[in-house]
Amino acid sequence: MGQDRIKFFFILPAVIYILALVIFPLATALYTSLTDARFGGTLANFVGIRNYMMPFGDYRFYNSVYVTLLFVVLAVPIELALGLLLALLVSRNIKGQGIIRSLLIIPLFVSPIAFALMGQVIFYEGGGGINGILKDLGLPTLRWRSDPTTAIFTVVLADVWMWTPFAFLITLAGLNALPKDIVEAARIDGASDAQMFRHVTLPLLTPTLLTILFFRIIDTLRLFEIPFTLLGGGGPGITTETLTVYIYKIGFRGFFFGQAAAVSFIYLAMVSAILSVLLYRVRKYYV
Amino acid sequence: MRRKGDLVKDVVTYVLIAIFLVLFLFPIYWTFITSIKIPADTFTSKFLPFIQFQPTVKTWISQLQAAENFKAILNSLLIGLSSAALATFLGSMAGYALARFQFRRFFKNADIISWFLSLRIMPPIALALPFYALILFFGLIDTHPAVILIHTAFFLPYAVLVSRDAFKAVPVEIEESALVDGCSRLQVFFRVALPLIAPALAAIYIIIFAFSWNEFLFAFVLTNRVATTMPVYIAGTVTTVGVLFDILSVRGILAIIPPIVLGLLVQRYIISGLTMGAVKG
Repeated sequence: MGQDRIKFFFILPAVIYILALVIFPLATALYTSLTDARFGGTLANFVGIRNYMMPFGDYRFYNSVYVTLLFVVLAVPIELALGLLLALLVSRNIKGQGIIRSLLIIPLFVSPIAFALMGQVIFYEGGGGINGILKDLGLPTLRWRSDPTTAIFTVVLADVWMWTPFAFLITLAGLNALPKDIVEAARIDGASDAQMFRHVTLPLLTPTLLTILFFRIIDTLRLFEIPFTLLGGGGPGITTETLTVYIYKIGFRGFFFGQAAAVSFIYLAMVSAILSVLLYRVRKYYV
Repeated sequence: MRRKGDLVKDVVTYVLIAIFLVLFLFPIYWTFITSIKIPADTFTSKFLPFIQFQPTVKTWISQLQAAENFKAILNSLLIGLSSAALATFLGSMAGYALARFQFRRFFKNADIISWFLSLRIMPPIALALPFYALILFFGLIDTHPAVILIHTAFFLPYAVLVSRDAFKAVPVEIEESALVDGCSRLQVFFRVALPLIAPALAAIYIIIFAFSWNEFLFAFVLTNRVATTMPVYIAGTVTTVGVLFDILSVRGILAIIPPIVLGLLVQRYIISGLTMGAVKG
């Protein structure tokens, strides 16, 4: 009956909207990536796959891949571990659990760009902020934003501050959803806290932790605002220049649209490859 | 049943939680106290108002009267409210279709869902240039509709996926009896189905508003003077006011208050929102 046709009336507006505003521009960009298009330039010439070869001869491309992966490797494990620790603490029978949870997830709602702004004050290398406190305590101060090595840890610190609450919140939900009977049984059998964690909690929590890992890797691969604003465009030099900052600079500083589009698609392919490997590994826990 | 050593464990728990609370709230606290310092005090590590330094609301008053702050807030409000409305409306229709009907030809429901999911995972930078070219083509650079259109497109998959889950969770019997009583599908959708998931709809609307309020890259690429949103504006603040930390701090607090208040308001929905339904709250 005609009833069934109406399903298209419901779904098509959203599908057409996305096709027109996302898929069509993406397809156009695919064509742009094969040209030498520049902003304000005259007609773009077809240059084949030249733009796709370009990054492989650019040391800054390799640097940005390295920097991006470095942030994933440094920040994500800390976020997972701290989030787990916090969730274990808060899930104990403590007073004010609701309020503590609410306070701990506040950083989740702070946009990276707002944190970058607050970071101007907090990571200021003269007086005030963290350096002021370190000085008061008689500790050596750090060049948070101007020393290449320290700058990497500044970005990691910012990421950990913003995203540990995410790991915490999801892990806590996972802990609360653990099957009560298994936990009870282990308790009655006299399992110690360490044994409980190692043999009961951790195995049962694995799917939750993998979900967090998945989302944190996705997000860290697109790290942009903190290096871009707080570290002045991936500085000092290019020590915190992530792939997204690199692509942004080609596209919107140099206005090499063709090249930027090509690097975007290389980046998209890398992200997709990493995600499909992850999804493949994660899948067995959900089936 | 209390065991020996429980008291020690409790104390350790509270102490550790207290340390984490201090660490996680430190940046916001520091920004707040900087916003109520006189400029000279902003370069000191005094952190106790009234005891170590005399707080002042001078910067707050002058900043709240500054037209440029108002413009950014108004732009963000207009863009956030509009794109959240558009995305929630289009998204709940599609979510309803995916929850209540079977698509068989060409694409099955699961295919359409993974299509929306893959869009949600798409890195923004890969879309920045295509979006820019599209908006440039339509001559909409630096206009409100430009950012509204793009934010709607980017957050629409989220609305589809979460509203589908919400429709799945309410019984279909009420809708079926309304259909038997002679209501059309459209009437059922607007008068029965939507009201049933009203709390989830409100949460979707609020979360997309907060997403839009916080979104930086697209707004940054698409606007430069007229339609700049709060994030673009405060990113520029760093270059325009330099080390006037009291002003920086006021603007920082202004930027983070709305999403924090709204986020805490819809806490219950945050988890499934953040993980696109992969984890239920």
